[in-house]
Amino acid sequence: MIEFLQQVFNGLAIGAVYTLIAIGLTIVFGILGIAHFAHGVVAMSGGYVTFFLIEKLGVPFFVAMMLAMLVGAILGLLVERFAYRPVQNAAHINAFIIALGLTMMIDGLNLLAFGPDQMVIRTPFQSVFNLAGLVVTELRVYVMVTTAVLIVAMSFFVSRTKTGRAIRAVAQNRSAAILMGVNVNAVALVVFGLSSALGVAGGALVGAMLALAPGLGESLVIKGFAVLILGGLGSVPGAIVGGLILGVSEALAAGYLSSAYKDVIAFLVMIVVLLFRPEGLLGKK
Amino acid sequence: MSTAKATYGWALLSLMALVLAPAMVQVPYFLHLGILALIWVIVAQGQNLVQGFTGYVSIAAAGFMGVGAYASTLLTSKLGWSVWTSMACAPLVAGLLAVVVGYPSLRVKGHYFAIVTMAYNLVIFIVLINFSSLTGGESGITGIPKPENFSVLGLIVNFETRTAYYYLTLIFAVLATTVCGLVLHSRVGRVLLAIRQNEPLVDAAGVFAWRYKMFAFVLSAALCGVAGALYAHFIGFLNPEPFGVDQSLNAILAVILGGSGTLAGPAVGAFLVVALPEVLRVAETYRLIVYGLLLVLTTIFMPRGIIPLLTHAWVWLTSLFKRR
Repeated sequence: MIEFLQQVFNGLAIGAVYTLIAIGLTIVFGILGIAHFAHGVVAMSGGYVTFFLIEKLGVPFFVAMMLAMLVGAILGLLVERFAYRPVQNAAHINAFIIALGLTMMIDGLNLLAFGPDQMVIRTPFQSVFNLAGLVVTELRVYVMVTTAVLIVAMSFFVSRTKTGRAIRAVAQNRSAAILMGVNVNAVALVVFGLSSALGVAGGALVGAMLALAPGLGESLVIKGFAVLILGGLGSVPGAIVGGLILGVSEALAAGYLSSAYKDVIAFLVMIVVLLFRPEGLLGKK
Repeated sequence: MSTAKATYGWALLSLMALVLAPAMVQVPYFLHLGILALIWVIVAQGQNLVQGFTGYVSIAAAGFMGVGAYASTLLTSKLGWSVWTSMACAPLVAGLLAVVVGYPSLRVKGHYFAIVTMAYNLVIFIVLINFSSLTGGESGITGIPKPENFSVLGLIVNFETRTAYYYLTLIFAVLATTVCGLVLHSRVGRVLLAIRQNEPLVDAAGVFAWRYKMFAFVLSAALCGVAGALYAHFIGFLNPEPFGVDQSLNAILAVILGGSGTLAGPAVGAFLVVALPEVLRVAETYRLIVYGLLLVLTTIFMPRGIIPLLTHAWVWLTSLFKRR
């Protein structure tokens, strides 16, 4: 029983990261209809920036993460403006192919700038608690709390501010929003900034919990899309539920079946959901 | 009708060039690259069936290539089948797998489809790496035999020689292109194009779109399987590395660069994606960056690829001469 709970706890921590990545993907998809495959490498770049700030400049973890989120947001803006906007009226698949190209490009740049070695982001949260046999690492608690805080902050921004209202308007009906005088291009930029900042937070947390390495961006974004498919494209609650389910099922699969095949099991879950509920667990028909 | 004639002319011309190439090329390495490019022509034609004709971007080409490669290799080494029989089984195995995995994934469209197929590719890759009792894991399988010799009209064809293998792949590449051409100009091809244009309309017209999509997906996987088998028996060494997602992206790049939805496009694109890394070898560190940039720029500025561009240029040129 305690082993089961341990796996669930570990799964929730990694699931929180998947959720952060997936929320960024889902808002971009829900509002702009772009499958932003380059999200993963943007998140990883942010992780590298966090690492750099901590190791080379001695910035505290959370400050470094915030600064990296800012850098990530700017990278997101650039990506939207120069890569996606030129094809916004072409077939959606063109944007996806562009995203694949961006992934290769940013991956190459990361490789050039930070090298091929694994890097673990150092954090001051090294304590380990023992709750009746359940091993709770401080870092994992921080990961979950950070995720929760970011999600609450984002929901507040989207539901309470004027910009947030514009974002929701574009999501509901793009043409009507344009007619109401919403600047759709500005909304697209804001959405990309927001999404990339959240993604970078995910990248920094995963870098602290596991490690940063080339190719991790792709694996993160694929997990993110798996979460989207689980929860329903464009749905934020779906991304939260889907992320946690994916994280926990992966951890359980690794603990009870085989750690080498844990990703296979995660994808199997995704495919089963697709078979029986193609719109996702919380998606609308 | 002069454009159609021109198309045949160009096709014949390039085929002749390909047939004569081994006699012209002095550097063995170029012949090696030629064989790889021809193998990639088969992959790209398969990719084009799904991506170019049907409008579904599948990111599993390399995965199916891997399935074909390992199927053929293992049938030869574990069961002792002749290479020819094993190679013939490769597309069947890949196609069968495509039937199984195509069913759930073809229920979804657009990005969903792309992501699900990518998940397949990842799963195939993970299995190839971890099922090491069968696949040899990361260290792979060595000493894969070449196809057995056979004699035509008293002439013994020895596939240990590069030239013989070159012609073998050339035959397969031409066959793959022909099959895709026949599909394109058949009723099935029309339905596939219609699916790309407007799938709900196809359904509304009483055509079971998913059957056609399934056909395209399975045929595409089978072509990738053949290509994989040809690759395995050519290189003689197999590990999972060439069958990862990045190689599937290469197949997409080949189709986009050449011109998706055309017959010549994937062929030209395949040669480009094999040649580009060689040209960029001087700048190995920048290869990924340049590749990515190329993909982005091509999609933005010439989304229909090189072939339509060339066609326009040709039409324009001929019209210049006619006016005189």
